[in-house]
Amino acid sequence: MSRAINIGVWAGVFGVFIIVLFGGQSVLAAGLICGLLAGLLAGARTEGETMQAGVRDGLISGAVAGVILIVSNILRNTFITTLVGQNLPSTGEVLSFGIAGAAISMVLGAALGAAHFLPGRRSSYATWAILGLVILIYPFLDYSIQLGWLGIVITGLIFILLALGLNIVVGYAGLLDLGYAAFFAIGAYTAAFLSSSYIGDQLNFANPRVSFWLVIFIAAAMAGLFGLILGAPTLPLRGDYLAIVTLGFGEIVPIVFRNLDTFGITIFGHEFIKTFNLTGGELGISPIDPPKLPGLNFADRSDQRPWYFLLVLIILFSIFLINRLRGSRLGRAWMAMREDELAASSMGINIVRTKLLAFAMGASFSGFGGAYFGAFVGGAFPSSFDFSVSVIVLCMVILGGLGNIPGVIVGGLIIELSDRLFLPQITLLLQSIAQHNANNPSLSGLQRFDPTLYRTGLFGLVLVLMMQLRPEGLLPNARRKLELHADQASPGEAAQSQTDLYDVETEAASS
Amino acid sequence: MATNILEAQGIVKQFGGLTAVNNVDFVIPKGTICSLIGPNGAGKTTFFNMITGLYVPTSGSMIFDDQSIVGLKPDQVTARGVGRTFQNIRLFANMTALENVLVGQHARLKANLLGILLQTRAVKAEEERARLRAIELLEFVGLGRQRVDEMSKNLPYGDQRRLEIARALATNPKLLLLDEPTAGMNPHETDALTRLMRQIRDELGITVLLIEHDMKVVMGISEKVTVLDHGGKIAEGLPEVVRSNEQVIEAYLGKGAAAQGKGGGGVRKAVVQSAEGR
Ligand SMILES: Nc1ncnc2c1ncn2[C@@H]1O[C@H](COP(=O)(O)OP(=O)(O)OP(=O)(O)O)[C@@H](O)[C@H]1O
Ligand SMILES: [Mg+2]
Repeated sequence: MSRAINIGVWAGVFGVFIIVLFGGQSVLAAGLICGLLAGLLAGARTEGETMQAGVRDGLISGAVAGVILIVSNILRNTFITTLVGQNLPSTGEVLSFGIAGAAISMVLGAALGAAHFLPGRRSSYATWAILGLVILIYPFLDYSIQLGWLGIVITGLIFILLALGLNIVVGYAGLLDLGYAAFFAIGAYTAAFLSSSYIGDQLNFANPRVSFWLVIFIAAAMAGLFGLILGAPTLPLRGDYLAIVTLGFGEIVPIVFRNLDTFGITIFGHEFIKTFNLTGGELGISPIDPPKLPGLNFADRSDQRPWYFLLVLIILFSIFLINRLRGSRLGRAWMAMREDELAASSMGINIVRTKLLAFAMGASFSGFGGAYFGAFVGGAFPSSFDFSVSVIVLCMVILGGLGNIPGVIVGGLIIELSDRLFLPQITLLLQSIAQHNANNPSLSGLQRFDPTLYRTGLFGLVLVLMMQLRPEGLLPNARRKLELHADQASPGEAAQSQTDLYDVETEAASS
Repeated sequence: MATNILEAQGIVKQFGGLTAVNNVDFVIPKGTICSLIGPNGAGKTTFFNMITGLYVPTSGSMIFDDQSIVGLKPDQVTARGVGRTFQNIRLFANMTALENVLVGQHARLKANLLGILLQTRAVKAEEERARLRAIELLEFVGLGRQRVDEMSKNLPYGDQRRLEIARALATNPKLLLLDEPTAGMNPHETDALTRLMRQIRDELGITVLLIEHDMKVVMGISEKVTVLDHGGKIAEGLPEVVRSNEQVIEAYLGKGAAAQGKGGGGVRKAVVQSAEGR
């Protein structure tokens, strides 16, 4: 009970954060998030073990958050809305939207609490049905209350797709890849070459435009191929060395795309390929054709809902495939290699092939995501693929809980929303406060304060804190948790895993 | 068909200036249990590592099942039919007991990427068979059903040793190499393991090569004992013969002891005790 209240308060605090930042009708979105938190953290984890207890805790938790939402919505509109120069809604609107937000929070909390205690498999079906409903409703809500999150959520989902792929490489196979953005770039440029008029324009011919539906797969294959090419020289490397080589690759690829603005092949004075601008240099290549599907309009930039739904389908399908891999001969080979490469090879696992496959699989996801990203933003620009992309995706994988898919998704959403939505919105809020209070010297100083500049610093801070406080990630998988907290679980085993490996030493690694 | 599963000739292994294995000839007749013994640092594990492809011999030939295996990668050697355990247990610590055994079957399974993604009927059936076989093997080595989903690092020490044997058996070997399987076990566990090794040979028809310091186990179980010292083979033959070999006694106890205890039963006992005390 007190646990439910506690969670309600925390969810509410998060809701306050959203309401203060965005104002307007964002209290509805806050209600949705609070409801999810209340339902999943309080309702579904009640100690009562009965459906009544589940409903009760979910409801209480959702209600506590709801009350906080209503109050903070009133306060926000009383004190901040005019300060930042937004239009002040009527008192009736403030109240009714606040109550609606609270209602969403309570209903969701109770429903998820109830779903959890349905017998057998129906429990997870019902939970997923509710989550599916939220996923389905969200873009319509976003669109109708002009929340304006959708574009960022889509980018976040693309990054989640990347994180799912990187999770294969880092989480399952245990290969630390710091150059993952390279494949993202390769995917995007593949899409740019194949489904824009750019190449034809450069060389004065009407190039065929390959359909988006084909391009995403070609891009995935292309990236996979480069995954193999990168993977090959890293085969004998491990740990830190592998990280450094992949880091280099990740740096090289965007630079190559940047510098291929004068591309041509001349051998002994004979010009095989006339010098031309292959990649558009810093300006990149745009526009890339959007996908075409009867009944849906992907070209309308003001309504991105088709992009959202398509991506959700792609992600669900990816998770489905990854789960199949995980429980298979190949998934086990990856994990065995991560645990002990030498023992794995002695059990009949071809290390070369297994490593390359992990690299190629991860890279394909990244290439696929890159093509989607290119089509979504309508172009391929070298600045979208710098090192920070690799770092962010890696953070998603680690923050969520290495090797755990729900963790990767939650971690990904948190990072992407903080990075692209909350941080810029804080800046925007502060700047408009300063603008609308230019005559107040203590507030106008805010004009110069830009939190987005601290972005990388904040990332670093989050990573350090995570590693200190919760190294297993937000939603760790059981085995990871055991591994990292082995010292607490059973001191003997932790010590034993440190035993020397002199049994078979360096030579095998290099042979 | 040769009568020997393994024929090694003139095997040398040097690490820089150190000769860890020096010109050793070694055969393992099919269907036997053979032992490789010798004091610490004699080169026993190094010899294992050369059979399994982890080390490449500096010189010498190694014929397994009528084919040369020199220069093959470990996974290729395993695919030919050599299974092994490690002196310092090397399980996949963060995988369950069942998964460990399933990994052992890797080379025997055929599922490829496409089949796995499509979950074809053949792949599903194969996976199901693999699971049943893994459970069978776990039971064979004496790990009960309730241990199946336990993370392997959380298993008691003795069970970890047994699990490693199950994992090696899962590779479907013709020759099983066990590197000090009874190390760190109490007499009761050692007896159980000795029985298991016999079962492996008698019931599964697998030839066993054993590195062992416990002389009671070695003498009780092996048909042939080979003694290494400083990388060289100093004695070979039936257990009784090797036991009374002067050079062997000398290798274990030092020169003086051998001279003093010529033919005496007391020394024989001392050999056993000193070896057990390790
Ligand atoms: N990779 C290596 N590099 C250098 N020297 C090695 C290597 N592996 C083994 N040696 C050396 O080779 C010699 C034989 O070692 P090995 O492990 O084969 O002995 P062993 O007979 O198994 O001994 P023990 O009974 O202690 O297990 C030792 O001197 C060891 O230090
Ligand atoms: Mg040894």
